[in-house]
Amino acid sequence: MIDFSAIIWGYIYMVTIGIIAMTIYGMATRPNIVKKLILLSILSDTGNLIAVMLGVHSGVIKPPVFPGISFTNHEEVGSDVLKEFSKSAVDPIPQVLVVTAIVIGLAVLVFLGYVSLLLYQKYGTLDVRLLEKKIKGEAK
Amino acid sequence: MKNKEILLGVLAGLIVLALVYLLVSLAIIIVPPQEDNRWLASWFLETTYNSERKELWSASPEVVTSILWDYRGLDTVYETSVFFFAIIGGLMLVRSVKIDPSKLGIRGMSVISKTVTKIVLVSIPVVAVSVALHGHLTPGGGFQGGSIFAVASLLAIVALGVGFLYRRGWSKVRLLGFRTMGLIIISIVIMAVFITGLTIGATGYIMQNQWKPWAPIGYGYLINLGLLGNVLYSGSLIFLNIAEFLAVSAGLSLAFIIMALPREELIKGGDLE
Repeated sequence: MIDFSAIIWGYIYMVTIGIIAMTIYGMATRPNIVKKLILLSILSDTGNLIAVMLGVHSGVIKPPVFPGISFTNHEEVGSDVLKEFSKSAVDPIPQVLVVTAIVIGLAVLVFLGYVSLLLYQKYGTLDVRLLEKKIKGEAK
Repeated sequence: MKNKEILLGVLAGLIVLALVYLLVSLAIIIVPPQEDNRWLASWFLETTYNSERKELWSASPEVVTSILWDYRGLDTVYETSVFFFAIIGGLMLVRSVKIDPSKLGIRGMSVISKTVTKIVLVSIPVVAVSVALHGHLTPGGGFQGGSIFAVASLLAIVALGVGFLYRRGWSKVRLLGFRTMGLIIISIVIMAVFITGLTIGATGYIMQNQWKPWAPIGYGYLINLGLLGNVLYSGSLIFLNIAEFLAVSAGLSLAFIIMALPREELIKGGDLE
């Protein structure tokens, strides 16, 4: 009997890790700064995806929120009910790490966007090979 | 040049192989994922809304927000300050930029895009505010609501022009003020229990949410609102979510607005030549 679950999970991990490899390669070789930024954001999103996937396994599909509670409906819940609930909810800890990572990644991306915008305004190019020459004064 | 690229590709592959080896050998990735490596998750899932263990709970059914703003709250405050300084650093690069309303783009895109954008522009902020306000009850919170709101302002900039937002009073000073207000609310909320504890001589901690047996001051979690009856607000979580929503939405909107300014203004602002 083939274990399809293992094959599918292995495939997903291989694809995400392959994306990480490609983004690292692309950041090292592509000369355009905007392409480097795009690859950087893909890299961080793939890392976040792996982190969230670590908390999921088969049979565990509910969000880590106890259902049925609202502003006005707030009955007290005991240990037994919550023990049942925790068996079907995904791991909340990777999600916590990812929530802040996304917003901070966005802020850092905005900062790098400002830097590359000003570089383009000053030197007229975002090609790192040309930029190096222009900063040294070898090319106009 | 070609050899160098091949070398870099091989190097990237090696780094990733080392990463995979580490993850698998330390049993962080198990294929397929197993149920028995989640005792920490079970602890949080069983404690955050457990009314039988009120010395440990955070009075919120939303486990992610509870960890984010209660159990691991100081870390989130530091990450908020990282966000703050990243935006400040970006604005410093164009520090002397002056927004001149007469030079801003007011044409935007076509009539169809403008009309659709105006319809959507009502609903996106409503969803954002709802996500932020329900942060302690449903998936979401201040970070998520703020990011959704920033999408609305980005959409307005692209489809209607920067001048649209500026003429509605979204000036640099006002957005900076909103963002600073959010951060001030966060610092007041996290220090309030500690300072109250100092003044009345009881134990209180920074970032404390609910009372503990040895630290009897807390925010409580129910408030009586007359017609609505008792309303669950989960202590400091709702205040922190609202403040974070203000900070994130205003900060990102300001960053997008400045980035969309005309080229000459940015050059002047960056003190280039």
